[in-house]
Order: sequence, then structure tokens, then C-alpha cells
Amino acid sequence: MIYRRILLVLTAYMLHGCVAYSLVEPGTVEVGELQVSPESAWSRASSAAFPFARSGTTVWTQDGLTLNRLMFIPAVPDGEPIFKDREGQMALPKFRATMLPNELEELTASSLGKMFGEGNAVVQTANLRPHRYGDDRGILLDVQAAVTDGPDYKGLAGAFVVKDELYVMLYLAAVPYYYEKDLSEAETIIKGAHLTTLN
Amino acid sequence: MLRLRVIPAVVLTALPLALPVAAQEVLEHKIPPGYQPEQNHDEKGLWLEVEEYEKAVRESALLVEDPEINNYVDSIVCRVAGDYCRDFRVYVIRNPGFNASMTPTGMMQVWTGLLLRAQTSDEVAAVIGHEIAHYTRLHSLERLRSVRKGMAAGTLFDLGLTILTGVQSPFGQAAAMLNLLSFSRAQEQEADLLGAQMVAEAAYDPHATYRIWENLLAEEEAAVVKREEPGLFSQTHPDAEVRANQLEDWVAARYGPPDAELWASDRHLEFLNRNYMTLMEDQIDTNRFGRTQALLERHSAIGVEPALVHFFYGEMFRQRAQEGDDQRAIDAYRHSIEDGQPPPGSYKNLGYLYLKSGENGLAQENFRRYLELAPDASDRAMIEFYLEEDDT
Repeated sequence: MIYRRILLVLTAYMLHGCVAYSLVEPGTVEVGELQVSPESAWSRASSAAFPFARSGTTVWTQDGLTLNRLMFIPAVPDGEPIFKDREGQMALPKFRATMLPNELEELTASSLGKMFGEGNAVVQTANLRPHRYGDDRGILLDVQAAVTDGPDYKGLAGAFVVKDELYVMLYLAAVPYYYEKDLSEAETIIKGAHLTTLN
Repeated sequence: MLRLRVIPAVVLTALPLALPVAAQEVLEHKIPPGYQPEQNHDEKGLWLEVEEYEKAVRESALLVEDPEINNYVDSIVCRVAGDYCRDFRVYVIRNPGFNASMTPTGMMQVWTGLLLRAQTSDEVAAVIGHEIAHYTRLHSLERLRSVRKGMAAGTLFDLGLTILTGVQSPFGQAAAMLNLLSFSRAQEQEADLLGAQMVAEAAYDPHATYRIWENLLAEEEAAVVKREEPGLFSQTHPDAEVRANQLEDWVAARYGPPDAELWASDRHLEFLNRNYMTLMEDQIDTNRFGRTQALLERHSAIGVEPALVHFFYGEMFRQRAQEGDDQRAIDAYRHSIEDGQPPPGSYKNLGYLYLKSGENGLAQENFRRYLELAPDASDRAMIEFYLEEDDT
């Protein structure tokens, strides 16, 4: 088991060096069933960049994934986590369609903690507030993470549930500098996200 | 490094249970207080490497800076260490796991998860005694020299550093694997016994040395997702159950039977009550409900503030969300409130649970109470949204 984990991490690091990026032009962009409107160009990373991403996840960055990232995690079904647990050891929290805002906040914090590595980060959330994504009610919250062997991160998370499926938009960037640099644009993108189809 | 490792029962039966050291024998330290390695010595090079690592630990974002917590742990270290007290720098790290470690230079790390799991300061002292014994018996140096025999010199110090300190390199899993090699079976047993001896000499209860292992085993038993097994290295590293059994036999032979009843140390209980919210929030975030429930049962038994324990029962049931858990969570939050001085979160999460069950009047009542108790709550806008929604 330990060898499988080592292999996974080593593979992730090797792949990290070969992550392919494609340009995301400003304007209206469809990310799965989500529609968002970036005001400037972003780089979209290939799936190899993020081994814990569940299928359908899209990751954008401005300066590199360790410095800033904007993640879109669309249509998470009831009973599934927002990240992928490749080996069943992470004890990732699972989304439940009955979750209310406090539980979506906990889901976000606990999942991010697992993403950084259990025990390697303290993730805190604050300012949970309501927000409307198109016609759908959802939430916004601020996140920050103190990481044992990396920069501290701050970010903004948005989430809403439609037809028992969860949509998450997450901006996470290193502090100081990178978080502030793109916060305004990331906030606009997250707040303006909505489903492309009418419910 | 002291860390729980469990291997299957079938392997346990094959491991020797004989005591390695007679109960009457006195184990000696190999270095005097204030020890410094000689210049131009392989040990000196290792010290220089580890000192660099210590700088990084000192700047860690997860370092606990609360002076009360640090003073509490420092005082236990000094009492166990005796004349060696000034040789150690202690860093408390915010991590919900159970762990403590010591470098050959005297840098000790203690994770908050260890403090959460100890029932008494005797149990904290037991872990610290074990780590100090590794230091005074020069186990790290022995291990380094042993590893050197099979390795190219160029990689020696880097690998040695990882082995000895558990540095979380970017290759965190590789570091974890190397940690499994950290000390030999004989060294661990030696540290167990010398540690118990130091604990007793410091007038702590030596029976705490195996009791903490037993608690960890009970927690592991309750876990839904078991920890990864040590695999290849299990045959060279004593497992928790064997160590607990050996220690129990050795301590009982040397110091007599334990007191009939475990009495919780007032000081540790006071520490837990004062820091319970932070410590347990980190534990809850692990999403490991079996372990959390085992911990809560233990905390309830040793007398941690009932309002706090019931609050976290509520958190655990609500987040676990198995059939019937919503009602269990409601009951737990109500108990927390009835116990007096509940965390404001008891009212908030009770409000959310009532909202879920359609009991809007009760939801409103609890949300209002939450905002009364926590007027500056950062989620005020969310709560007010529900309050206003119901008014319209």
C-alpha cells in the first residue's frame, strides 16, 4: 500500500512537470454546465495537474498552480466527495443533497484540508453568506489555509445545489501578493457563475 | 518518533513477547546533560543539518504559539528530563494526529493530537520520556551509522535527516515510508523502558506508558478507515499491542500494580477544557468519525466539560449523517445547552437541523439565540438570510 502511495505521489510530481496548458480567452466561457465570464485571459491546466480532481473538474491559473488556481467542480452527485480519493484512505467528506449552508462550508473546509494532506494544513472558513447564481440560491465563503511546508493560501469559494447536484467554484492563491492580485477578477467570475441551461 | 502502528493479529502472534530487559535492571543514559558532539565528527555534520531543519520548524505556519499550551508541555518535558531539561527545545505543532518526535540535537515536536488523546499529564509524560530516551541513548546516531553501511555517502545526510526528523519533504509519502525505518525494534524497546524509568523517577505514573498505547489501540479498533499498515517494515518495528503488553509486564514487575482507578490529572483536564474547541475542531475536520467517537467517549469518561463534549457529539453525528444521526445530533446539542455554557454553535447547528426537518419556529428560535451569543459571528449574513426569509 505504501508503495502505491509513493508511486502516486512520484507520478503526480513527474506529471506536474508536463502539465499542458491551453488559453482561456476573456468573454463568456462554458465550463461543463457552468457559464462564467473571465475579464482577462487565464491558462487552463490539463487534468494531469491535479491528481485529486474528480472527473469534470476544470482548473485555471494565472501564474502557476502553486501560486493561484481557480477550480470549477461541476455536478457532484449526492454521496460523492468533491475531490477524488484514489486509494480510499483520505476519508474525504461526501456531498449530500440535503446539505445546508453550514454543512457545505464544512464540506469545503474538510475537503481542502485533505487536499493539502491531512495534518499538513489548517483550513479555516469565514464570512459564510448567501449568493444567487443565476436563478439558483447558493453560498459564498472565504477560505484560508496555513500549510506546513508551503505558502499560506487564501481564497473564495462559491457553491450551489441544483437537482441534487453540487457545483463548486474555488479560488485559492498564495499570500501575500497572489491572492490580492487576482481576487477581484476571481470574485467576479465566481459570483457571476450560473448554469447554462434553465432548470 | 512515537506513532501508532498496527499490524494484523495473525502477525502479532508470531512476534516475541519476552521482556528484553530484566525489571530490576537500571538503564543508563549514554550522554551527560549539556552534551555536544565533537568537531569533525560524523555526528557534528548531522547536527548542522538538523539545525537547519529546526529553523524551518520554528517558522512553520502550524506552530502553536499560545504561551499557555507551550508552558504546559515545557513543564512536563522539564520534569521528565530532570538535569537534561535545558538540552531540549519543544515545538507544539497543530496537527490532529498522534505523534511526537525528537532530533539528535534535542528538538522535540509534539502534535496537538497527542495532547487531545492523553487522559492525564502522566500519559503526556510517558510519550515525552520515550522521546528523551531516544536522545540520551544516541539512537539517532546509531541508526545513522547503521544506515550508512548500506548507502552512498553523498545521500547520507539528506536521507538521515528525513529518517531522524520526519521532515515533510515535497515527497511526503516517501518521507512517511522512511519514517518507518526510523528506529530499530531494540531501540524502540529500549526507549520504552528507559522512558518508563524516567517517568517514574519524575513522580509520574509509569503505568501511563502502556495505557496510552491501549487507548490508541481502542481508537484504531473503532476506526472505519484503518491507518495504512507498515507493510514491509512491520517485521523490524514493534507494533503497538506488543509494546503495550511488554511495557505493562515490565512496569508492573518493577513498580507494582497500577492504582485500581484511573484518576484524571486536574492539570491535563484543565488544559483540555481550555483548548477543547480548537483541538476537537481539528479532529472533526479529519472526517474520521469512528476515531472521533472513541475520543469523545474517553473525554466524557475523564470529565471534560460536558457541554463541550456534547457539542462535539452533535458535530460528529450531524456530519456523519447516518440514519438517525440528525436526531442524535439534535439530542446532543440539546444536552450541550442543558449542561450550561454551550458553545454558540450548539444553537446555530440546532437551528439548521430544525430547518432541515421543517420545524421553522424552532430553527428561528435557535438562530436568534446564536446571534445573541455571537453577535460578531462571521456567518451572520447567512443566519439573517434565514431569519428574514421566514419573516416574509
